[in-house]
Amino acid sequence: MAPILSARHIRKSYGAFVALRDISLDIPHGERHALIGPNGAGKSTFIACLAGQLSGVEGQMLFKDENVAALPPAALARRGIGRTFQISRAFLQMTVLENLMAAHVIASGRWAALSRRIYGERIDRAHEMLVTVGLADRARDRVADLSLGDRKRLEFGMALVGEPELLLLDEPTAGMSIKERHGLMDMVAERLASEGRTLLFVEHDIDVVMKIAQRVTVMVRGAVLAVGTPEEIAANDEVQAVYLGGGH
Amino acid sequence: MTDPKTLWAAVSRAALNWKLLVPLAVALELFNRLSPASSSTLLTEVAILALFATSLNLLMSFGHMVSFGHAAYFGLGAYGFTLAVTRGGLAPEMALLVGPLAAALGGLVFGALCVRLTEIYFAMLTLACAQITYTVLFQWYDVTGGDTGITGFMIPRLGLSETGYASLVLGLVALALLALWMIVKSPLGLMIRAVGQDRARAEALGLAARRVQLVAFVIAAFFAGIAGTLYAVLHGSAFPDYAGLGLTLDGLIMVVLGGLNSFAGGIWGAVIYEMLSNFVPKFIHQWELVLGLLLLGICLAMPHGFAGLLARLGWRGGKGEK
Ligand SMILES: Nc1ncnc2c1ncn2[C@@H]1O[C@H](COP(=O)(O)OP(=O)(O)OP(=O)(O)O)[C@@H](O)[C@H]1O
Ligand SMILES: [Mg+2]
Repeated sequence: MAPILSARHIRKSYGAFVALRDISLDIPHGERHALIGPNGAGKSTFIACLAGQLSGVEGQMLFKDENVAALPPAALARRGIGRTFQISRAFLQMTVLENLMAAHVIASGRWAALSRRIYGERIDRAHEMLVTVGLADRARDRVADLSLGDRKRLEFGMALVGEPELLLLDEPTAGMSIKERHGLMDMVAERLASEGRTLLFVEHDIDVVMKIAQRVTVMVRGAVLAVGTPEEIAANDEVQAVYLGGGH
Repeated sequence: MTDPKTLWAAVSRAALNWKLLVPLAVALELFNRLSPASSSTLLTEVAILALFATSLNLLMSFGHMVSFGHAAYFGLGAYGFTLAVTRGGLAPEMALLVGPLAAALGGLVFGALCVRLTEIYFAMLTLACAQITYTVLFQWYDVTGGDTGITGFMIPRLGLSETGYASLVLGLVALALLALWMIVKSPLGLMIRAVGQDRARAEALGLAARRVQLVAFVIAAFFAGIAGTLYAVLHGSAFPDYAGLGLTLDGLIMVVLGGLNSFAGGIWGAVIYEMLSNFVPKFIHQWELVLGLLLLGICLAMPHGFAGLLARLGWRGGKGEK
């Protein structure tokens, strides 16, 4: 079967600085794929490229066999690519519930609606999602008043509302305790697996990567150093060298 | 655990406080009936400016789009109405519809241009569009009468008394404000707020942010056009200044005075600003100085303006964003 995502020779520079040099990566349908590497390796930049948020990106990107390299972020999202941000981004001046409702309105495509009917139609699903991500008792709190960990949960819930076929998570567990990390990622893995969705996630916690990922890509200084199963990556001498000597 | 019904109430908290609004409306109308004609005219102007400032506030507080050219749509409303009477030969009652539509059309054309950019560049484009509008109104003598404007083409106030017209305007402005409130509380309003608060987040969820901003811009222009139309009817005239930088600044000041991030901010701002600008100059010559100091105080000490102050004092009536 063709991969759901196939990135070919992706290059991206910020001015004279080359952040991504020739990245190619295939991700099969339904795979949980981790993206790791030291700070500044270009992981977030690569995620942003896949989500269509950067200009001046060279290379090809096939999503479900369609070349989507030139599409704007909203068009990619509507085709089934969802994402969360490393520094979590939710609508800060809204309540948690309003954030989820905003995601529902966008997912429904009824953004210009004046009738508030959709709020009634989707409230149960929004509530379920709050329970899923563990924010049920914070529904009416403003996002600006949430902890960073809770913002990450909310953002994750918002990304799920659109039922993306490919979910890109940039450090979804940053700012959480070890226990919370494993709890959230177990839930993510279970949920995506049961729906046959694909996951690409950036994660610094190696234990989480080992447990959740089926394959791992290691990036260093804008290039792919190694791709393989978690076991292969753990046994890879080059990767060891980067992580032990690479100032991480 | 909260039950979904209560949760829904939290999202769709669009309920208006009728216990407060009905007495307020009655009080305003009583004041209108009992006070002299000059007060009715002042009341009319305040109501019109409250609508104008609230239309700007839709962009500023909810869309976080700062427009430096909102008077253009007030002016297009006034001239749209006036030209429909003088050139189109429509009865003034019919031409009332033309003003807001002309403003909305202007908003569509200029808005499509402005929303291509964001933040200060957006603001500069709105300014440029408004200056173009002003210049056309000011220079195109054959059609707009140039700097002398258009006067004497109708009986001011559609022939109504000061008091009668004030009642009409109060009613229309109340309806328009209600419509704006419903828009803010609708899914579209939620989208306008979403794009304002984090555009990239909204886009990553699949929202075409520019389209939302354009719709917001056209809505704001339409309601500013209603205000401009009502103003042209009040005086039975249209002048280029209706689209000038002065009025744009007045609107910005009203929103800041009244309170950013609050639906009622534009209304409070218009009331306070008009009161001050009418009464302060009678006692103090340096009205601009007073205004400057007031703005300084607001920006430094209470950035959420008068509405923010009320909220802090525990009066939750008009808070929009929270
Ligand atoms: N907007 C930008 N302008 C200039 N340089 C940038 C920009 N964004 C990122 N960079 C640079 O590109 C490189 C890759 O950044 P990126 O954020 O993709 O790394 P990362 O692998 O996600 O790192 P981290 O683990 O710290 O999140 C870094 O050296 C960074 O300084
Ligand atoms: Mg990063």
